[in-house]
Amino acid sequence: MPYHEFKCSECIPERKMHAVVKGPGEDITMALPLGYLNTIPGSISERGCAYCGAKHVIGTPMKDVIHLSHGPVGCTYDTWQTKRYISDNDNFQLKYTYASDVKEKNIVFGAEKMLKQNIIEAFKAFPKIKRMTLYQTCATALIGDDMNAIADEVMEEMPDVDIFVCNSPGFRGPSQSGGHHTINIAWIKDKVGQVEPKITSDYVINYVGEYNIQGDSEVMADYFRRMGIQVLSTFTGNGSYDDLRAMHRAQLNVLECARSAEYICNELRVRYGTPRLDIDGFGFEPLSNSLRKVAMFFGIEDRAQALIDEETARWKPELDWYKERLKGKKVCLWPGGSKLWHWANVIHEEMGVEVISVYTKFGHQGDMEKGISRCEEGALAIDDPNELESVEAMLSLKPDIIFTGKRPGEVAKKIRVPYLNAHAYHNGPWKGYEGWVRFARDIYNAIYSPIHQLSLLDISKDEIPTGNGFVTSGMIANAGLAEEVISAGDLRQYSGKYDCVSDLKNKIYPDFKKVTEE
Amino acid sequence: MDDIKGKIAQLEDYIMKKCLWQFNSRAWDRKDQNENILKISTLLLCEEHFIPETPADRCYWVEAVSLVDAFKNRYPWISALNKTEKKELMEALKERIDFLTITGSLNKELTDPLY
Repeated sequence: MPYHEFKCSECIPERKMHAVVKGPGEDITMALPLGYLNTIPGSISERGCAYCGAKHVIGTPMKDVIHLSHGPVGCTYDTWQTKRYISDNDNFQLKYTYASDVKEKNIVFGAEKMLKQNIIEAFKAFPKIKRMTLYQTCATALIGDDMNAIADEVMEEMPDVDIFVCNSPGFRGPSQSGGHHTINIAWIKDKVGQVEPKITSDYVINYVGEYNIQGDSEVMADYFRRMGIQVLSTFTGNGSYDDLRAMHRAQLNVLECARSAEYICNELRVRYGTPRLDIDGFGFEPLSNSLRKVAMFFGIEDRAQALIDEETARWKPELDWYKERLKGKKVCLWPGGSKLWHWANVIHEEMGVEVISVYTKFGHQGDMEKGISRCEEGALAIDDPNELESVEAMLSLKPDIIFTGKRPGEVAKKIRVPYLNAHAYHNGPWKGYEGWVRFARDIYNAIYSPIHQLSLLDISKDEIPTGNGFVTSGMIANAGLAEEVISAGDLRQYSGKYDCVSDLKNKIYPDFKKVTEE
Repeated sequence: MDDIKGKIAQLEDYIMKKCLWQFNSRAWDRKDQNENILKISTLLLCEEHFIPETPADRCYWVEAVSLVDAFKNRYPWISALNKTEKKELMEALKERIDFLTITGSLNKELTDPLY
C-alpha cells in the first residue's frame, strides 16, 4: 500500500494509514486510506460533530421550520454568518436561530420544563411558522431529557403544529457524517408518509442530498421544471417540511450527495420501492448526462436535450475562456465529503486544472474510492487531516489554489495559498451550467488576484518593486498566454448577472399537460 | 490477450471516472448494480432488446443506455466487434469492475455487519 507518512505526524504512527499517494498504474484496490474512524488522539481534527452534521448540514436547510437546539446557546452559532443555504421564503431558517440556552442549573435539575416553555414561546413569537425541529445536544442527551415526550405534549396542546425530534448529540459518531445518518433515518421513520401531496405532473421526483448552497437547488429545480418534472421535495435545501413528509409519492429519487443522503434513498427504495438514481450536478458533461438520464427514466429525453443544447451554447464559450487561463494550475481539492468526487475528474477535464491532492474531513472509504478513481496519478489522498498535515502538504505540493472550508482556508491564506470555500462557495451558485462558469471565474479571480501576487512578497526581506504600475488580473493572466488565445473571438468572460437566482422565483414554465390520473 | 486487456482498461477508465452506480455503499448493492447495469449494457451493445418492467429495472436501463452511448462515442472500435466478441469483452469488464468495487475492494464498510 503506497501510504504517505507526514513528518509532522511521525509521533502518531496510526495516521500513516490515513494518507496514500495514487502511484502510476495503481487503482483503488492498491491505494485507499482508512476512513470514517474515530479521530486518533493527538491529531487535531477539522471535523464537525454528529450534532453539527444533523443540524447544520441536513436539518437547517429546511426553510419553513423553527430549528431549536436543546442545549447551550453556543451550539446554535452556525447560521447566517457561516451558512449559505438560502431559501425562497426570505431565508427564514438562516435569519432566526434558536436554543433553549441550557445552563448549569438545568444540568442539575433537568431542562425539560424550560424546553417546553421555549418551544411554546418560539411558536408564539413566529405565529406563521407551524413546524419545528428539535435537536438534541451533548449536555441534554447526557442528563437524559426526553425531548420526544415534550414534543408530544406540545403537539397535544397546540394541534396545528408539528415537531420533529432529532436525537443526534455531538458524540454520536466519529464526525458529522454520523449525524447525517441519524437524521436521515429519523426523518423517514417519523415523518415520511404523513402528508399526501398534490401531484401536478406525470413525472415526479424527490431531489435528494442537495442543500441549496447559494441557490444550487433552485438552479437544478429550474432545469427539472423546464422539462415538466415535478420536484415533490428537496432533501433538504430550500425544502419544505410538509413536502418532505410526502417523499413516499415520488416516482424517482434523484440523489446528488450520496454521502449525506443515500440513507433515506435506500430506505425509500426498501419501504416504497422508489428507485435511486445518483447524479452529478457539477460540470457541463456530468450535468448533461445526469439530466439526460433523469429524462430518459420518464421517456422525455427530447426535453432534456433541448435544455442541454440551449445552456451549452450559452455558457460553453465562457467556460472555455477560463479553461485557457486555468490550464495546468495545481489544485488541492480538500472539501468535506462529496465534492471530492463530484469535482475530481470534471475540473481537470473542463477547466484544465491538475488535482494534486484530494482529502475528506468526514467522508467514508466509499467517498475516497470515488475520489481516487476520478483523480489522476500522483495525487495525495488524505483522510481526516490535521492542521499540521495540511500545512506540510501545501508546503511540499505548492498548489496554486485550494478548495476547502473556512477554517483550513484561513490557514492556507497565512502561507499565501489562495483558497475558495468549497462548502459555502464564494460567488455561487456553482451548480448548473452558469454556476460552473461562476466557479471557474472564482478560481481565476483567486489565482490571478493582484492582491494575492502582492501577498507573495515578504516585506521583512524581499525587495518591494515600487516602480511597478497598476496591474489587473487580466494583465497577470495574459502574461502567459499566446496572442491567438487572448484575441480568440469565440471565447468570452462570464457575462451573467451578480444574482442569477432571484429571477427564477418569478419564472413562468411551459405547461406540460398531465395525462395520467392519480 | 494484451489487446483485450487494453480495451477493458479503456472501458474501466470511463466507468471509474464518469459513473457513480458501481459505488453504492454495501457489497450486495454493488453486486446488484454491476450485474444488472452491465447485463443490460451487453444486450444493448449487441442490439438485443431489453424492456424495463419495474422502476428499478428502468434505473438500470437508463444507466446502461448512457454507458453504451458513451462507449460507442468514445471507443469506435467497440462497434466493429462481433456479438461474441462484445459478450466476451463485457463479461471480462464485469469481472474487472466486480474486482475493483467488491472482491478486491479495501473498503471495510462493504462488509461491516453493523453498517
